[in-house]
Amino acid sequence: MTCRSSIGAIALLAALLLPSFLLPDAGALAFDQSKYPDLKGQWERIGSPRWDDDHAPLTAEYQAIYQANLKDMKAGGQGIDPTYTCLSPGMPRIMNVYDPMEIVVTPATTHILIQHNHDMRRIFTDGRDWPSDEEPSFAGYSIGKWIDSKGTGRFDLLEVETRNLKGPRVYDASGLPFHKDNKTVINERIYLDQADPNLLHDDITVMDHALTRPFAANKKYSRSKDPQPVWLEAQCSDGNHHVQIGKENYYVGEDGYLMPVKKDQAPPDLKYFNKK
Amino acid sequence: MLYRNAIGAIWLALVLVGSITGARAFDESKYPDFNGQWKRPAGIANQFDISKPQGRAQQVPLTPEYQAIFEAGLADQKAGGQGNDPTYICIPDGMPRVMNVIFPMEIVITPKTTYMMIEYLTQLRRIYTDGRDWPKDFEPSFTGYSIGKWTDADASGRYQTLEVETRLLKGPRTYDPSGAPLHPDNESVVTERIYLDKSDPNVLHDDITTVDHALTRPWTVNKRYVRVNNPIWFEASCAEGNPHLRIDGQNYMLSADGHLMPAKKGQMPPDLRYFNQPRN
Repeated sequence: MTCRSSIGAIALLAALLLPSFLLPDAGALAFDQSKYPDLKGQWERIGSPRWDDDHAPLTAEYQAIYQANLKDMKAGGQGIDPTYTCLSPGMPRIMNVYDPMEIVVTPATTHILIQHNHDMRRIFTDGRDWPSDEEPSFAGYSIGKWIDSKGTGRFDLLEVETRNLKGPRVYDASGLPFHKDNKTVINERIYLDQADPNLLHDDITVMDHALTRPFAANKKYSRSKDPQPVWLEAQCSDGNHHVQIGKENYYVGEDGYLMPVKKDQAPPDLKYFNKK
Repeated sequence: MLYRNAIGAIWLALVLVGSITGARAFDESKYPDFNGQWKRPAGIANQFDISKPQGRAQQVPLTPEYQAIFEAGLADQKAGGQGNDPTYICIPDGMPRVMNVIFPMEIVITPKTTYMMIEYLTQLRRIYTDGRDWPKDFEPSFTGYSIGKWTDADASGRYQTLEVETRLLKGPRTYDPSGAPLHPDNESVVTERIYLDKSDPNVLHDDITTVDHALTRPWTVNKRYVRVNNPIWFEASCAEGNPHLRIDGQNYMLSADGHLMPAKKGQMPPDLRYFNQPRN
């Protein structure tokens, strides 16, 4: 009897040690969260939402474009930053994380949710290949791969490549430009800090024809301690005062009237209005 | 010795059961399969009650005051204006209009939150299913604050229905592009029952009941969505190429060549009082 109990217990133990896919209810337990790093919660950027503009390895042509942009901004304009009319910042600027970020990991897709302005990303981790007919987008098409770099049986790194982008895009509010061919390729390594699980890293490397060499940045985000963080709705278009008419940007004042943004800026051409 | 070994093995087994159960806290099989991409059924436009055409035919049970506002909006739209519809300058649809699902929707279920992602104006809904209460200091939003509860009506051991209540909304909001308005006090309460069709698991239902001070009674509609497997997700950016502008409370349009133009016949140009030189 003792022996039979022992054998039963050992059999139970053996069953428990079997890989999950051999268990009869494996299908019911398809998503084993313990395999993935804990990326739950609300993540806020650490530092300013900028890239290292002073050391960006721009080609001479794009350095000139950047400088002209800075000059326009100094005069009151928006330079070449296209987001003032609420265009999406696109990749990799999305990862500046203007508003808090949530990361939802599922086996097939990791969702990056940022309530800013079309800053949501899907990172496909289902082993798919690049699509042949996907329409380019500001966020691009992202394929990821989970890596267990330490062989612990738990993924600790999400490697991502993003392609198929469209523009106009810049790196940050300074107007640091991407090449207008939009053939940017962005690689990311997303992982929790080894010493601090409430610190998230995103090592971003950008390859772009406006650059003389790949341009890398390490973005850091800190996790809110609030178990029920407040997610504010950030809608760029709600109360946005900037408008673009032709190639000019103007401002709609608090009183609703159109205003210049630069000294001596000409008003818009009203040729389509009947003049009495 | 064998007895002690057996106790040890059982103890170890129990520890492992506990750890594995904890590690697999999210048992997907308890929830309905909402995976994939959900779209409006073929032939359905952007109307709220999908069983009726847009406009007056929706028969929104508006109070006389808000029916008059609706009629004035329709008259403005007939003249070329936008009427009561605030979304032409990329203001989000808000609840419950967001469930018109103008662009495809993805639903991701996690134990504490169900996410609804609609690829338009970053319309993300979080439906909290962690048993929380209404927050005391939440800033109102277009999508509001949603608390949900999974129910297993037929006691099958698997949830079938997500019951949701949404409050703490802000405006302006309308039910659809025809501009049937919600009350500007924004005290709307929206309840939903979201479930798969019993005979077709590729059809999703959302029974939406809106309680609002612009209505004479709660208004209930049944929305349906059809599932697309292996979907393509495309980015729908309202601001990109949007030809509508709002200046001095008026809507204007941008011509294809980038010039400001009237949206209505005989519309006056905007007041340019802040410019100190006329355009040549």
